[in-house]
Amino acid sequence: MTDKKLEVKNLRISFRTASGKVQAVRDISFDLYEGETLAIVGESGSGKSVTTRAVMGISALNAIIENGEIFYDGRDLLKCSEEDFQSLRGDKIAMIFQDPMSSLNPIVKVGKQLTEAMLLKNRSRRRNARKEFYRLLKELCAAAKDGGAPNDYARAAQRFVRAEKVGTRCESRYRLAKQNAEEAHERLCELLLTYAKESETVIRTRCARILRYASRCADEFLPAFCTEEFEALVQKLRPSDARTERELRRLQQLLEEGLAAPEPDFYAIGFLRAFGGADADAGDAAEYGRRAREYCAAFDGEFLRMTAESAARSHAASVLKKRLALSELQQAAAALRGEWRREEIAPLAKKLAALVQGCIDPVEIRKESAERTFAPCVLSYCARYFAGERKNEKEERRYQKQTQRRDALLAKNKAVDWKVTPPSLTDLDAIKGSMISAVETLIGLYRRQTADDAAFDKESEARAIVAHLKELASQTAVRIDKSAAKRRAIRLLNEVGIPDAEKRYGQYPFELSGGQRQRIVIAIALSADPDILICDEPTTALDVTIQAQILELINKVKRERNLSVIFITHDLGVVANIADRIAVMYAGKIVEYGTADEIFYSPAHPYTWALLSSVPDLESSERLEAIPGTPPNMIYPPAGDAFAERNRYALAIDFKRQPPMFRITDTHYAATWLLHPMAPKVEIPASVTERIRRMKKEADRE
Amino acid sequence: MNNPTDEKREVLLRVEDLCQYFKSGSTELKAVDGVSFQIYKGEVFGLVGESGCGKTTTGRSVIKLYKITSGNVWFKNARIAAGTRKLEEALHAARKEGRRRAAELQKQGDAAGAKAARRQAAQEVKRLQQEIRQAKYDDEHCNHAYAAAEAEAVRAEYEEKKKTCPADEAEALEKEYKEKLRIASHERITNKIQMIFQDPIASLNPRMTVRDTIAEGLIIKGIRDKKYIDEQVYRMLDLVGLVPEHAGRYPHEFSGGQRQRIGIARAVIMNPELIIADEPISALDVSIQAQVINLLNDLRKQFGLTVLFIAHDLSVVKYFSDRIAVMYFGKIVELADSDELFAHPMHPYTRSLLSAIPLPDPAYEKKRKRITYNPLLAHDYSQDKPSFREVLPRHFVLCNDAELERYRREAEEQ
Repeated sequence: MTDKKLEVKNLRISFRTASGKVQAVRDISFDLYEGETLAIVGESGSGKSVTTRAVMGISALNAIIENGEIFYDGRDLLKCSEEDFQSLRGDKIAMIFQDPMSSLNPIVKVGKQLTEAMLLKNRSRRRNARKEFYRLLKELCAAAKDGGAPNDYARAAQRFVRAEKVGTRCESRYRLAKQNAEEAHERLCELLLTYAKESETVIRTRCARILRYASRCADEFLPAFCTEEFEALVQKLRPSDARTERELRRLQQLLEEGLAAPEPDFYAIGFLRAFGGADADAGDAAEYGRRAREYCAAFDGEFLRMTAESAARSHAASVLKKRLALSELQQAAAALRGEWRREEIAPLAKKLAALVQGCIDPVEIRKESAERTFAPCVLSYCARYFAGERKNEKEERRYQKQTQRRDALLAKNKAVDWKVTPPSLTDLDAIKGSMISAVETLIGLYRRQTADDAAFDKESEARAIVAHLKELASQTAVRIDKSAAKRRAIRLLNEVGIPDAEKRYGQYPFELSGGQRQRIVIAIALSADPDILICDEPTTALDVTIQAQILELINKVKRERNLSVIFITHDLGVVANIADRIAVMYAGKIVEYGTADEIFYSPAHPYTWALLSSVPDLESSERLEAIPGTPPNMIYPPAGDAFAERNRYALAIDFKRQPPMFRITDTHYAATWLLHPMAPKVEIPASVTERIRRMKKEADRE
Repeated sequence: MNNPTDEKREVLLRVEDLCQYFKSGSTELKAVDGVSFQIYKGEVFGLVGESGCGKTTTGRSVIKLYKITSGNVWFKNARIAAGTRKLEEALHAARKEGRRRAAELQKQGDAAGAKAARRQAAQEVKRLQQEIRQAKYDDEHCNHAYAAAEAEAVRAEYEEKKKTCPADEAEALEKEYKEKLRIASHERITNKIQMIFQDPIASLNPRMTVRDTIAEGLIIKGIRDKKYIDEQVYRMLDLVGLVPEHAGRYPHEFSGGQRQRIGIARAVIMNPELIIADEPISALDVSIQAQVINLLNDLRKQFGLTVLFIAHDLSVVKYFSDRIAVMYFGKIVELADSDELFAHPMHPYTRSLLSAIPLPDPAYEKKRKRITYNPLLAHDYSQDKPSFREVLPRHFVLCNDAELERYRREAEEQ
């Protein structure tokens, strides 16, 4: 199984409104794995947007996050400070909104909107990368101290930065030259297409432009354009009027050959340039590239060995600490289950937080969310519990006082025209439960980690660390100025399939069609190279043909960049197209959760049945089975299953108790009492089975 | 234009060569460009196409929300809208042509011929001028003729009644007759066409109660009997699945589906013969969409309504419509019975549209190949201009001769 990217646990969000507290999201949990698409389906008001907005940290002002965790990269997003969130939002987690017109600024040009974030983030990104690089380096050195020579190690690591810098300089020169060559090639192809029809003057002016580009494409890493033949050809074509089609074709051929050459590894070249000494002098480009790679590999091998040593040592130290911490955690769990008294629990929480914080292996790359978020979580639970307790007492007293006054008036046979509002209490049990479960999760995690020493693969860990260091070094070295940002923006526009990217760069959003605007929004979301892409009904405002294009684009981008996508929609057709896994939401709860095939071919929850049978497909002609009624008012959510009111298959227990998630297969869960072993056997309605049969037949036939 | 001429069925709405141009800066935007179709009584006619192709504009032009640029709209055999642009162009052309021919003949020394040509041209011009005048008159006065006919019908009815009526009821009858006559003489033919709008939030006045909203049409029509109005409003509410208690509430107190029901009640209370439903369900939630489709279906069966159904959701159009027209950039490119259209799409745009429909079936979706449509690549209209032709019985496609041959051949092969 691939890595978990995002983990949402027991999330519960409400909204304060004038008429009461609307419980928008009630205890939902889901995971998002690397490179998959999770679709959240449900009607409006089911809480799907609210959930994803919480993930982005852009919840509305009147939202109260009552409970839960959203883990990402060793952090709990719900407890992140705004400053921390700034480095995640849009950078690691990006979002595409429903209406492309209202999510683009109408008075700012497309290009500016695209490059804005790149330019703004440029400096802070470099600074953060540098900070992280040196922190990691310091930890590694500290771990290596009693074995190797830390100074050598640090000096070696710093070579990455220098190599990146030199390499980047080479690369930008190379890119410029290559761009010129591409431009020349493109124009030449155009000219040759219509060569016979054009007049002499037109050919002359167009040739002059092509040659201007062609004369600027010489670079040491593009050897094809440094040959004498190429230069001679350009020189020969320049002044004379006697240029022939044959010569132009030869030029086109040369350009094609030159452009087809593989790109050299600029990092390696930079490395050789910076530290190679006498070897660094240029030779043949291909030979040079090979030499650079060899030189780099030799260094990398040595460095990898040193890193592996340090990582193993650091890991061993942390495992040792964890073994010691385990017994203490178990005692603490027992204490937490009992009565909570301020003077006992508060210091205990503080102690646990410090203990766990100390156990964290500082050099690990795959961050364990449960461990890293433990300290802030535990402290905040503790604080909230005692604050809530005080508040509850106060509210209780107020309520009693007012009730007494009212009763006294009533006893005197006076007409009382007001009611006493019941106290709004903090759910202390829920907080307590969360705290205990946090400790228990950690105990489980530590047990697993300390059980088996051999499970630690120091080679792969070291490789990951080196890769991370290199990436940080490259981030430190890359400086984005306006022209670089523009180049990147145009590359992005091409990637999302906008023709004439150069021209679009300078246009305003209103000059583009709906589909193109949505592509621009996607390009902006991708500009920071995010890990997670959240799409909030991105195709609802578009029509079928454009919708199909946008879905194809999102699928393509996801595949190429290995993105994790959360896709919100109410259109089941779209879901079938895009989703790997599906969560069906109703009234703030996930009612069914499974892979796309499971949800569509063997749905288990009556709400999913109803959704499937209420949409006409191309073959249906019988009367549609509409879901009667409307969704419940979430200020007063029903005690039992929220869908029971509209459910033809509702059992008596559905109105009284909320169904838990029943497991159907390892990946397929549904919250309905119908799955309880004691429940009566209910057949899936005929219209749904009929449709599934039709779908299967269709699939078999093709 | 050669539209299906099914003799047995009554044509309710006939649209001939409808053009609707909008001024945008110095140029003109051809939102609808030469659209012709007929809607028979009792059928649902679907109009599909991507956004911006002019399907909503067509609907709005039919109900005279815009002044049409050119073409005719016939409703119940009366011309309710007419545009003069094409006629004016023809007029100018006729004048110019007459002058040119006369000058030519004059040059050849044929004075008598020139005179004849001039006369002929003058006749043509006069005929066209007459037509333009008639079109303008019809466009403005379509309601008058209808109101006069209605009033005449009422008069005839009450003449009969008055003769047989006992003396003591004569006064009451006279009063009733006057009331009816007043209403009839204000009757408009366009009242028989009603519209349901896309966005149920934007199309209801937030400051009017449901009763006011639904009754507004009746009041404008001239009905003053409060009791009758209330009765009608309650009947409508019941019909669309709301309860009479809802009448005193405001639109914001309702959910989206209920609001759309109010919009439908408002349209149906006028007792229309044609309903133009402009994307009535695309702003609604999935679970509510089916409710509204079922409601429209019931109403249609109950009252024998004719519906012009405009939508971009093809599976809903397929489910709901008898015949479907596909629009692309202001032109109808294909028109056929809905089953026929989905089974044998002929025009490449229709094919690309059908291939883009997402269906709730993962296996199908993984295999679905989208066909892209590029008019420049798909057609070669440099020599032969396309026109709207019947490729198979009751199946019309916009094509030229070569394409007609190809489509027929393909249809035979299948």
